[in-house]
Amino acid sequence: MADKLNIDVVTLDSVQCAACGYMMESIAALPDDVQEVIDYTEWSIKNKDGIGKFMELGVKVLPSICIERDVVFPSIIPQYEELIDEMAKRAPTDAMKERIASLRDVGFQFDKIQENLAKAGAGMATRVDSTVKK
Amino acid sequence: MAKQMLIDAYRGKKTVKPPWVPYAGVHCAFLINEPADKMLQDPELLAKGVVHTAKRYNADGIPLVFDLSVEANSVGCELKWWEDNVPSVKNHPCSDKTPAEAGLQLPTKDSGRWSVLYEAARIAKPQLDELDCVLMGLYCGPLTLASHLAGVRIFTDVYKHPEFADEVCKFAGEIGNLAAGFYAEMGCEIIAIVDPVASQIKSETFKRYVTPHCQAGIKTIHDAGMTSSFFICGDATKVMTDVCTIGTHGFAIDEQMNMNFIRDLALKHKVGFGGNLKLTLALSLGLLSPREDAIVSLAAGGQHGYTFAPG
Repeated sequence: MADKLNIDVVTLDSVQCAACGYMMESIAALPDDVQEVIDYTEWSIKNKDGIGKFMELGVKVLPSICIERDVVFPSIIPQYEELIDEMAKRAPTDAMKERIASLRDVGFQFDKIQENLAKAGAGMATRVDSTVKK
Repeated sequence: MAKQMLIDAYRGKKTVKPPWVPYAGVHCAFLINEPADKMLQDPELLAKGVVHTAKRYNADGIPLVFDLSVEANSVGCELKWWEDNVPSVKNHPCSDKTPAEAGLQLPTKDSGRWSVLYEAARIAKPQLDELDCVLMGLYCGPLTLASHLAGVRIFTDVYKHPEFADEVCKFAGEIGNLAAGFYAEMGCEIIAIVDPVASQIKSETFKRYVTPHCQAGIKTIHDAGMTSSFFICGDATKVMTDVCTIGTHGFAIDEQMNMNFIRDLALKHKVGFGGNLKLTLALSLGLLSPREDAIVSLAAGGQHGYTFAPG
């Protein structure tokens, strides 16, 4: 989808594993203006969909954040500005790139984390027989 | 089951064979056919689950809980409960203020779920002693607890607002020190600091925000005559020397680390080490043979300070 920036967070399980949880939160706590232009999903390798995504994206370590299919943050929870810079770099259009870059000084927003995590399916597909809803 | 053998391995000593610890956590609830959220809030069920699991797996040691929300919950973080998982922290009281500005108070034995854990330990400990199985206490390390308190911003603050990060991590270390004392009082002969997010930072960040804020807790464990460990998850390669030198008797790692590398590092620093059985790839998903994985782990681990355990 050219109108959205795609982010895949490959995890063990964002509920059980704190590092995975804060990788997910680093995306879920991005401000509203960023939320409007991104589409993100948790892929837990506890199920087949997650293993498929792990292989497809060439992920080496867990957790990892992939932006537009690039493994950008392998086992490093990013700083806010690093995330914004890497997203802007990979924005599908110049307009989106400018919009994301303009939010570099806004900082994380914590009032909608639970709502945003639910939208990304965080913690909802952590069983062996789970499927990831996209 | 063999308590002394496990304590010896955790302290980096030679053992006649590798002792074994299933870090069972909420798997205990599964084994007694109870939901995880119910078991974790009911001392009798928790004790039942832990003792049942220790017997079932013939364990040399078993944690009372493997739940890193206990400390955060005891200072006011709200929890989201799951039937098949540990609870997750829902809010971050220090997302826009320091612990002092947020009015956070250090926990007592009556805060949060500490009274549940005390009661569960009171019931489980004599039964585990009977089985010659160590009751282990696991508490949340300073950086993971700082993340619970301040949210994901802490990973930006360690670079951009170090004074704020210092305050939050210092408070987290003080809570950890109290938790260490609580577990020692419960009779946990092995007490581990569990700091999974400490693998997601650089070595210099670990030295500033993790190492110093573990020291009081380690001293409390050692002063009580107990054995200490530091548990870390994920690809912790960049901080492994810091883990080896933090001051605990040993450490544990997960399935993402290379066991030969870990063994050599542990032997060099004369500390105990454990973990690394492939929890997801073998034990959960069966993509690798759990039996072959176990043989590989046992061969790499050896009998000098090594504890056979999932990662």
